[in-house]
Formats: sequence, C-alpha cells, structure tokens
Amino acid sequence: MITIVKPGMQMSIQDQGRVGARHLGIGQSGCIDPYAQIIVNRLVGNADNNPVIEITLGLAEIKFDNDYYIALHGTDMKASVNGNAIEPGWSFYIKKGDVLKLNAARHGFRSYLAIGGQWQLPDPILDSYSTDITAGFGGLTGQALKSGDSFEVIPKYNTKVGLGAMLPPKSTQIRIHAGPHAAVLPKDTIVNFINHSWHVSPNSNRMGTRLLSDECGLEHDVSLPSMAVAPGSIQLPPNGEPIVLLNDAQTTGGYPLLGTVIDADLRHFAQLKPGDFLHFKFVTLADAFKAKEKLTAHLNQLAIALKYKNK
Amino acid sequence: MTTKSTPKIMALTTHCIFFDAYESAEHGLNTQKKIWALAQFCQSTGDFVDVVPANNNLTLYLKESEKLASWLPLLLEQWQETTTKDFASTHHKLPTIYGGQHGPDIAHVAAEHNLTVDEVAQLHSSKTYPVLFLGFQPGFAYLDGLDPKLYTPRRSEPRISVPKGSVAIGGEQTGVYPETSPGGWQIIGHTDFKLFDINATSPCAVKPGDTLEFVIQEVLK
Repeated sequence: MITIVKPGMQMSIQDQGRVGARHLGIGQSGCIDPYAQIIVNRLVGNADNNPVIEITLGLAEIKFDNDYYIALHGTDMKASVNGNAIEPGWSFYIKKGDVLKLNAARHGFRSYLAIGGQWQLPDPILDSYSTDITAGFGGLTGQALKSGDSFEVIPKYNTKVGLGAMLPPKSTQIRIHAGPHAAVLPKDTIVNFINHSWHVSPNSNRMGTRLLSDECGLEHDVSLPSMAVAPGSIQLPPNGEPIVLLNDAQTTGGYPLLGTVIDADLRHFAQLKPGDFLHFKFVTLADAFKAKEKLTAHLNQLAIALKYKNK
Repeated sequence: MTTKSTPKIMALTTHCIFFDAYESAEHGLNTQKKIWALAQFCQSTGDFVDVVPANNNLTLYLKESEKLASWLPLLLEQWQETTTKDFASTHHKLPTIYGGQHGPDIAHVAAEHNLTVDEVAQLHSSKTYPVLFLGFQPGFAYLDGLDPKLYTPRRSEPRISVPKGSVAIGGEQTGVYPETSPGGWQIIGHTDFKLFDINATSPCAVKPGDTLEFVIQEVLK
C-alpha cells in the first residue's frame, strides 16, 4: 500500500496522457515531462506508460507499506528515506514502513516518482490512468492526491539497486514553430515576442505557463473563431501576456497563437517555476524533427544500457 | 454562389496540421458541414490520433509525423471534392428552467435588450440550434443560431463557479455548462439534461451536426 502523508503543493497520478478524444472536448492530461516518466519507470522495471506520481515543488511525504523499488527524477527535491538521500535518477530499494520525505525544489519545479509493480487503480478512462484535474476524472479519485489517499501497488522485483540514468539537458531557450496568426496581430507583435525575455507568472499551473514581461506591449483586440489548441500552443490573450498551454489545457480556444512549442521542448515546462526566465526561438520543421530524434536516441541508449546492466 | 478563396493549410508542428476555411466561408453553417465531412474522411484513414473540428476549421494530429508532407496537399484535394451533405443527426430537447436562482443573469440580459424575462425565455427557446463542434471542456457544445436580439457581452468579472447544467449566453453564443466550472457567460437558466458522462459508452450526449432545442419547463421570477 502507498499512502500520501503530505501531498505538498500538488501531486497527481499521471501517465503519457489521453489521446483520441479531443473532438469531445476531453484534454490530454499526462506528465508534463514524459521523458522523465519513461526513465523512472525503466529504472524500476515498469512498462514505459505505467503511471507515476507527478510531484510539484516538493514538501511532501509518501509512506510505503511494503518493500519496493522506487526511482525519482526531474528536479532535485533533496529527498530522503530514514535520513538517507534518495538521489534523482537512481533506483533505490525501500523497506516496508519507510517514509519518503521531499524537501522544497530549488532549481526546478517537478519530480516524478516511479514505484516498481502493478498499480491497483480504478479502471483507466479512455485508455489512460492520468488524472484530469480540471474535468475531475482519472487517476485515483479524479482529483489531485490528498493527505490520506492510498492505493495498492503489488511489488515487482525485476530491477536492481543503483541503476542510474540522466535526463536530457535542461534549457530555457524554447524552440517554437511559426503560428497561423502573424498577419492578424498588430505589427511587430511576433518580433517583440521573440526579442523579449519572459518570466513565469505565479498564476501558472498544469493548464498553462503564463508569461510576463516588463513593457513588452503585446496588447491587442483581435478576436478569432475558435480553433483546436493543444499542449505547446502559445496563446496571446488581449492583455498581451502569453500563455504556453500545457497538458491540462482545454481543447479549443479563440485567442490568436504566437506559435507552437516544438514537441521536444515541451518537457522544459515541467521545470519552469514562477519567476524563471525563458525566451523563444523560431526553428524549422526539420530542426524539430532532429530535436525529437535526439530525445528518442537518448531513450534508446538507456534501453540498451539497462539491458546490459540487468544481466 | 460567391467565389470562394482557397482555405489556408499550415503545419503547426511536425505532427499537427491546421486547415482553415473560415475566411473562404460564404455561409458558416454550409462550410461547417463540409468541415464535418472532411473530419469524417480524415478519421476514416486511420492516420490521425485526433481530428478536431472547430469554427469553420479543422486541426489534425498525425500518428506519424513522417506523413506530414503527403497530407498537406492531399487535404486541399479532398476539400475540393467534399460536398456538403446532411448527416444522420439527432434532435435533442433540453427541458429548461429559466430565471430565478437558476438564471441569475436573465434580468440583466432582459434589461440590456429592453425585453421582459418571459420574452428572453421565449426567444431563447424558439430556435433550433445546430451543434457546430465540441470543445473548451468535456462535452461542451458550441451552438449556432442564437437570436441576435439576445447577443449579450460576457460578464466583466467571470464567476469562480458556474453550476453544472447552467444555460448561458456569451456574446453571440449560447450553450450549456456540462460540469461545474469557472465561467464568464450570462446564466439565464438551468437544464438537467446530461451532456457529459465519462462512464457512459459514448461520454458526450450530443455530437457535431446534431440539433438542440431548449424547452421551457418554467420561467421563475
């Protein structure tokens, strides 16, 4: 049994998300950093799409009523069990009755916890265990995990202690595709957006990272017919403060788009916390393909290394 | 029929295509019927994870980004061959209580247009509304055809919580909130009609192309 003692700022059960139902208004959900999710699952011997716990900011505690292999990755939350450090990116063996304690993240925002075994959760909804916090379904209760929530994980011991894996490198330069609305927005909007550095607003959440900048002046009064939006869509509301939509975003929207974050760079938004600076750069479709291939290669290398180490 | 300009087709990412027929639209609903037909065709090819129709546009999410280059020209060819046809659609009647505690903004909507509360309910319930597309939140239906006499700007301050089943007007649109959520539309009534049930075989009660009608159950003062 896994019991949430303290959920911290926000904790939720997520997998790779829910697809195929956007036309019904059902959003994606899922881990904001799907690479971290895959890597921690591999370290504990789970399938890539096994659910994990996405932990925001830290200041959390989780109790384990069985022996398990666990792995944490994402930002360093100075995690420990019985005073022993649980370093991000390594597999650990923890004992029945142990409590995993997480301090506050200082250099990032989210961490992913994998627990080796079969997670006993309510049936998946539209093929996904991800919690859709906004719509209120999926995961354990359809909501973020609360103090006292518990669920069973039937342990599997098919990995070993001390397996390590790195995440692909962090970046605050976000590569984006050109959007469809450059011509309808006021002159220089796109140039100003690219030339300014932005910081993350405290109003950001899993629906979107809201951006602020001093004297950038992207205000407008353009209203457009609704179109589909998805994680990565960069909306510009009339107040001139862009929103990079993330996993819990709605499926359609009527604000003009400044562009779309390339698939390979969406994971960076898992670690951007209020006050962090970032800037954007246009790239070609070919660049985006290459960036994605690089991440796939990272995962392939890990798969080979783990196969060798587990022998 | 007036001359139409060519729809705009653009790759938004390596696996996402935006097809926009809005500016070429000589009539919104006819173009929307073509959008539904194109969406149905794209869905049937099995090449897409998600096919999302919105307001006279269509966004396609590819399973494999390798197919991006071949789909860009194909879409336009397909559009030119698409004819507006009518679908087998369902007509839904939504029993609605207008006003009172169920419609806290109906008096404001009435005052805005020099109408009585009864007239607002009459005008709103006398139309048949085609469902253009679903979006914003699970099961939310974008409806066509609100009487211009009822066009009312959104509230300057959105409500933190709009109850599930609220019938509302936002600008030139009307709709029903499928779940309790924040919202800025003017609430004029309430229906018990269940638009969305995640545990049902088909979670959404209505689909694009269906028509809705609000039936007055009661007008509260």
